[in-house]
Amino acid sequence: MTITEPLLSLDHVSREFSTRRGRITAVDDVSLAIGRGDILCLVGESGSGKTTVARMAAGLLEPTRGTVRFEGRDLRQTSKGEHKAYRRAVQLVHQDPYASLNPVRTIGDTLRAPVLHHKLVRGRREGTRRAAELLTLVDLTPPQNFLSKYPHQLSGGQRQRVAVARALALNPRLIIADEAVSMVDVSIRVSILNTMLKLRNELGVAFLFITHDLAVVKYFGWEGHVGVMYVGKLVEFGRTPQIIGRPLHPYAKALAAAIPEADPDLTRTKDKLQLRSLDIPNLTALPSGCVFHPRCPYVVPGLCDEVAPRLEDVGEGREVACHVVARERQALTPLSPSPGSTGEGGTEAA
Amino acid sequence: MIGRLADDVVLSIEDLWVEYQTPTGPMQAVRGATLEIRRGEAVALIGESGSGKTTLGLALLRLLTRTARVSRGRARFRTGDGRTLELFSLGGSDLRRFRWQECAMVFQAALNSLNPVLKVRDHFIETARAHGRKDDRQTSERARELLRMVQLDGERVLSSYPHELSGGMRQRVSIALSLLLEPQLIILDEPTTALDILTQRAIIDVIRSLRQRLNFTMMFISHDLSLAAELADRVATMYAGELVEVGKVRDVFYTPKHPYTVGLLNAVPPIAGEEFTPLTAIPGSPPDLLAMPSGCSFHPRCPYATELCVRQAPPLFAVGNGHQAACFHWERVTRRLDVWEGAVR
Repeated sequence: MTITEPLLSLDHVSREFSTRRGRITAVDDVSLAIGRGDILCLVGESGSGKTTVARMAAGLLEPTRGTVRFEGRDLRQTSKGEHKAYRRAVQLVHQDPYASLNPVRTIGDTLRAPVLHHKLVRGRREGTRRAAELLTLVDLTPPQNFLSKYPHQLSGGQRQRVAVARALALNPRLIIADEAVSMVDVSIRVSILNTMLKLRNELGVAFLFITHDLAVVKYFGWEGHVGVMYVGKLVEFGRTPQIIGRPLHPYAKALAAAIPEADPDLTRTKDKLQLRSLDIPNLTALPSGCVFHPRCPYVVPGLCDEVAPRLEDVGEGREVACHVVARERQALTPLSPSPGSTGEGGTEAA
Repeated sequence: MIGRLADDVVLSIEDLWVEYQTPTGPMQAVRGATLEIRRGEAVALIGESGSGKTTLGLALLRLLTRTARVSRGRARFRTGDGRTLELFSLGGSDLRRFRWQECAMVFQAALNSLNPVLKVRDHFIETARAHGRKDDRQTSERARELLRMVQLDGERVLSSYPHELSGGMRQRVSIALSLLLEPQLIILDEPTTALDILTQRAIIDVIRSLRQRLNFTMMFISHDLSLAAELADRVATMYAGELVEVGKVRDVFYTPKHPYTVGLLNAVPPIAGEEFTPLTAIPGSPPDLLAMPSGCSFHPRCPYATELCVRQAPPLFAVGNGHQAACFHWERVTRRLDVWEGAVR
């Protein structure tokens, strides 16, 4: 736990949208904080609200309720200068580099534009030197081979590296990567992840990493934290090795169990968690109580379908929103009095 | 090659070449693929984008675009009633019969393969009618049964339009539809790609249970090695248009003998285990199919490459029981990561 301000924090943030079928709550009361050089992964399926969280963190969308803070300052109350600094410090990398790179600009132009615009360098020549530096950082070497190319002349993996290079152009302190490696091939995915890890280790860049793939979280976010989202709610949060090794929330368990492994014996004998239903609920008509109860194999009638569980601290800095988990803990803890909620060495209900 | 197909062979592909016309000249997307698929088997074709795996599937069903053609090779297919078809000389009614009744393909992104203005029921009825099955009541009955097998509420789904269904439901409808005329061979192209994890799991489980009940032969195309580990009996790795390794699923995953297969396996993050698993990337990127490297097409990226690999293209070596790999150095190939570390970047 740090006493210093986190770099970016979301404080009880919600976001609603109006649709033809009524109002939906895409993100419901989510709180998260990212410190300097931290890795925070958000994992969930489509409709979980993870991209909406990313867009709010990037300042592209305002929360309906709650506050987004950058270095402790409420984004709605920052001065023009502070806002500009925030915009520079926080950069977004999208899923689809086809859509995010301008097809009629060379890679050199794309990388020069932001540094010239923000007056980080003087003149085109220095801009080009910086562009070459950025390309080297993302392992597109030698940079001369790439500066005069257009996006269509690059492979998908190379384009995604250019997108990362552009995000780095303004010396950001946080990169928000929204499914940034979902569309590239397996072998290229690892090398892009390795490049991003290098940026974090060498330049201290923090990452908010959004993905649907827990296996990628395990690799990229091993030294960080994971938040598991389900229809707009954060249902489990904790250090990556804990959550991957022993997920507690039934939805997190189901996700981990569902992932096939590239190991025939292991994947065919893996314990699967059979859900009661395959359907993700409609956001315009969310279930009562716990939003996961219609699918949950552990559902307790009269409780889970009536009362929405709150995210509760279960020790070791881990939080879970589940009545069943909370009950199990209550059944186990009275025998050994809780050592307080100091985190370290807390009560891991075995 | 002359001669009959062995009794248990459903599909035999011999030295298949597929060529695309491009503004800069002909491009070979499939290069001399040879593969046999036996009755009841599930074969996974794995490889990254651009490796030619989808082109191979389309060629078999004669669904290539106008700019592509089979430039060499043959493919033979044994029908349900024991006849042997030469797939690349099929015409007219034989071809129509072959598609759907003998072999059906389920495409990636099921939204595009279902007609948006037709209800699901009409997809089933039109497919049946086009193949001479005029009894709509019977077709609907069979459709409901198939939809139940893919875990869908038949009645509700039959009267829905494709856009009213989720991606996972549409994919299951496509699978059910492909089974309507009881084909012997189903080709699935990226059946789980772009679906959520829990939906992917449901599709995997559905395919597995369908195979147990209906016992069809299956070839599926995927970039996802885990899917192959789940569902395949045999695995074929494709790289730059060539089949570079073929073998039983356990052999290919546990003792891969082509460096490209190894590279793919070493790049897949596992979820199981309480330890961190380091991964390595395959250095470089796949070759430009219009400017292929000399010798072995993988040599510029391969940590085992020698002078020989630059000069000469390796044939498929028999490396084990029913296991083949196109690598001169297959005896030295292991899954150890340190081999790759020097080669990376």
